[in-house]
Amino acid sequence: MPRETSSLADILADERVWKLKDASASLGPSRPVWSTGRSALDARLPGGGWPTASLVEVLLETHGLGEIQLFLPALVESQNRAGEAPWLVWISPPHEPYAPALAQQGIELGRLLVVRPASATEALWAAEQALSSGVCAAVLLWLQGTDDRWLRRLKLAAEAGGALGVLFRPDRHRFESSPASLRLLLTQGERETHLDIIKVQGGRPGPVEFPAS
Amino acid sequence: MSAQKRRMGGVAARSVTADLFAEMLPAMASQPVPVPVPVSAPVPAAAPHAVPSPRERTRPLPKQLWCAVVFPDLGDSEAAVTLQRLSLHALQFTSLVSIEMPNSLLLEIKGSVKLFGSLELLHAGLAAVWERLAWRVQRATAPTTLAALWLARAGIPSCIEDPRSLAGALAELPIACTAWEPERLQTLRSMGITRLGELLRLPRAGVARRLSPAAVLDLDIALARQTAPRRAFVPRERFRRRCDFETEIETVAYLQKALEPLIEHCAQFLRERQAGVQALELKLRHRVLSVTRVRVGLASITSDRRRLADVLDEKLGRLELPAPVRGMELLSGSLQPLSGSSLDAFAGLRGGGRDTAPELVERLRARLGESAVYGIECIPEHRPEAAWQRVHELQLTPAARTGSVRDWRLQDDMPRPVWLLAEPLLLSAAQLGQLAQGALALEGGPERIESGWWDGKGVARDYYVARQMHGARWWIFQERQTKRWYLHGVFA
Repeated sequence: MPRETSSLADILADERVWKLKDASASLGPSRPVWSTGRSALDARLPGGGWPTASLVEVLLETHGLGEIQLFLPALVESQNRAGEAPWLVWISPPHEPYAPALAQQGIELGRLLVVRPASATEALWAAEQALSSGVCAAVLLWLQGTDDRWLRRLKLAAEAGGALGVLFRPDRHRFESSPASLRLLLTQGERETHLDIIKVQGGRPGPVEFPAS
Repeated sequence: MSAQKRRMGGVAARSVTADLFAEMLPAMASQPVPVPVPVSAPVPAAAPHAVPSPRERTRPLPKQLWCAVVFPDLGDSEAAVTLQRLSLHALQFTSLVSIEMPNSLLLEIKGSVKLFGSLELLHAGLAAVWERLAWRVQRATAPTTLAALWLARAGIPSCIEDPRSLAGALAELPIACTAWEPERLQTLRSMGITRLGELLRLPRAGVARRLSPAAVLDLDIALARQTAPRRAFVPRERFRRRCDFETEIETVAYLQKALEPLIEHCAQFLRERQAGVQALELKLRHRVLSVTRVRVGLASITSDRRRLADVLDEKLGRLELPAPVRGMELLSGSLQPLSGSSLDAFAGLRGGGRDTAPELVERLRARLGESAVYGIECIPEHRPEAAWQRVHELQLTPAARTGSVRDWRLQDDMPRPVWLLAEPLLLSAAQLGQLAQGALALEGGPERIESGWWDGKGVARDYYVARQMHGARWWIFQERQTKRWYLHGVFA
C-alpha cells in the first residue's frame, strides 16, 4: 500500500512510535502526575511528581521518618481535582491515622477509608480491590513482607484503576526485586532522614536531598 | 344491549367528553342540569382567599373511575394495620389502591374494567371479596375520589360514570358525609345548609371566605374540576425463594453455582417492583444440624444482580460448611424504593473503573467484616485522644457530603501528628536521658492542653514536638502533675 513519505517529526508524533528516551514525557499527558511538594524530589521523578496508575514502594527503616509527609501534598491535590476519583484508602496503617492532623493538612476526611484486614493476604486482596475499583485516587498499604507475584498483581490493579498505589515495607526488603515502577528507601541518618531512589523507571536512581519538613 | 355494544358506546361517549370536557365546565353554570351549580362563578382577583377558578385550567382531567369502599364496623384501634391488610385483598382488582383514614379504601378501577369484562362483573367480584372476609361495606363508584367516598359514606350504592352527572348525584347528600371538621359543619348548619346541593348553590368566593379555601377545593375535587393525586398503597413485600437439592452439596463452589438462579429470580423480583434491598439472608439447611444463616449487608440499596451475586459469593467463599447442604432459601430484607441515581447506566464508565464507592465498600466488608472498613472524623474537643472517632456509617454518595464537622479545625499553627498512639507511652529511662542530653531535641512547644476535668478524664499536659537524633519526629508531653514524660504520637 503506497504511503506518503512523512518527515521524522511526523513519525515521532505518531502515537504508535515508542520513544526510548524521554518515555516518561510522552506518557505525561495521558497519566497525570501529582507533585510531591518538594522540588528536589519532583525534579528527580519522571514527569515531575508521583506517577498515577502505578505502584510506588517505600522501604522504611522505622515509622515516623516523614513517609506520610512525602505523599500528603499529592493526596490533597488528588482529592481537590474536580472529576477525579476522590477516595483515599489506607490499608493496615501501623497506628490510627489521626483525623485532626489529616484535616489540618487539607485531607477531606469524608473521602478517606481505613481498612484493617486480619491478615497480610487479605490486606493484599483489599488493596487489589481498591486499586482496580476506579473510585480511589490513592491506596496506601502497609505490609511486613510479601512475594513478587502479589506485587505484580497490585501493579496491574493500579494500572487498571488509574490509582496511585503506595506500598510501605520494612527496609530489609530492599535487595529483593520488585515490580514497582518507583522504589524509595527512607533511612535514619546521623542528623536527619535520608531518602534514596533505588529504582525509577525513566529516571536516575540515587540519593535525594530530603530537607526536614 | 350486549356488553360488547355497551362498551363501544361507552368508548364513543368518552372520546366526545374528552374533547368537550374543557369547554363543559363553564357551560355547566347555565346548563339546566338537575341542580344548577353557580359555585363556579369567577373569583374576583382581589379576593382575600384566592382560589384559582377552574376556568383557568384548560387541560382535561385524567379519566378515572374510583370505587370507594367504606368499612363502617372498623374500630379505631389498629385501623391502619387492618386497612393495609384489606388493601392487599383490593390489589387483585387494581394496582392503584389508596387508604383513606379512618375506615375507607379507594380503588381506581377504570383500567381494570376491560380485564374483568364489564363494570358489573368487577363490582360483583369486589362484593364477593368483602363478603368472604365477612366485612360489612358501603360501596360507591364515581369518576372522582371524593364523590365516590361521600356517596359511599352516605350509604348510597350508586355507580356514576359520567362526570357531568356528579353534581346532581351529590346534591342530595347530607353535608356530614364530607367528614369535614365539626366546626365547619356547625357553621354550615347555622347557615341553614344541610345538603351538599344547597352548598353548591352558594357563590364560590363566599364559601371560600366563610368556610375555608380547603372546602372549595374539596368541592372542586369531588366535581372533577381539580385533580387530586392519591398516594398509592405499596405492599410490604420480601423476596423469599427455596430450592431443594436432589443430592446433598458438600462444596461451596457448587453452592455458588446453585445460588445463581435464585439471585437471578431475586433481581427480577426487585426489578419488577422498581425496588432494591440492602440486606440478604441465605439459609442453608442440613440433615441433622440446624440451619446455617449467611447474612450480607449492602452499602447501598440495589437491585443489581451482579452486585448481589458478588457479595454473596464473597461471603460464601469464606464459609466453612459444617455439614452437607440439602437445600437453601434466599430471603431479602425489606424492599426499598430505588433512588434515581442508582439507575445511572453510565455510572460504571466513569473514571475508567468498574465500581462505585458503595460497591467497593460492600465488597471489602463482605470479606473482611463490617468493622474492618471505616472512616474517621474530627470531634471538636481539646483532648487529643478524644478529638477523633471512627465512622462506620459511611456517607458514600457525593450529595451527602457535609462540611460541618470537617470545618472544625485546630489553629493551624498547632502541630498534630499523623499517627496517634492508642495509649500514651511512658518514655523509657534511656529516652529521658536523650532528652536531657539534647539527643531528643525539643523543637516546638509547649502547647498546654488542660481539659476534661468535668468528666473525670481530665488532662493537664504540655505537648512538645521532639526530634530524635536519627530523624524521626515525635509528639511527646509532660504530665503537669506527675512531671512524667509520655510519647503520644509520631509525625510520619
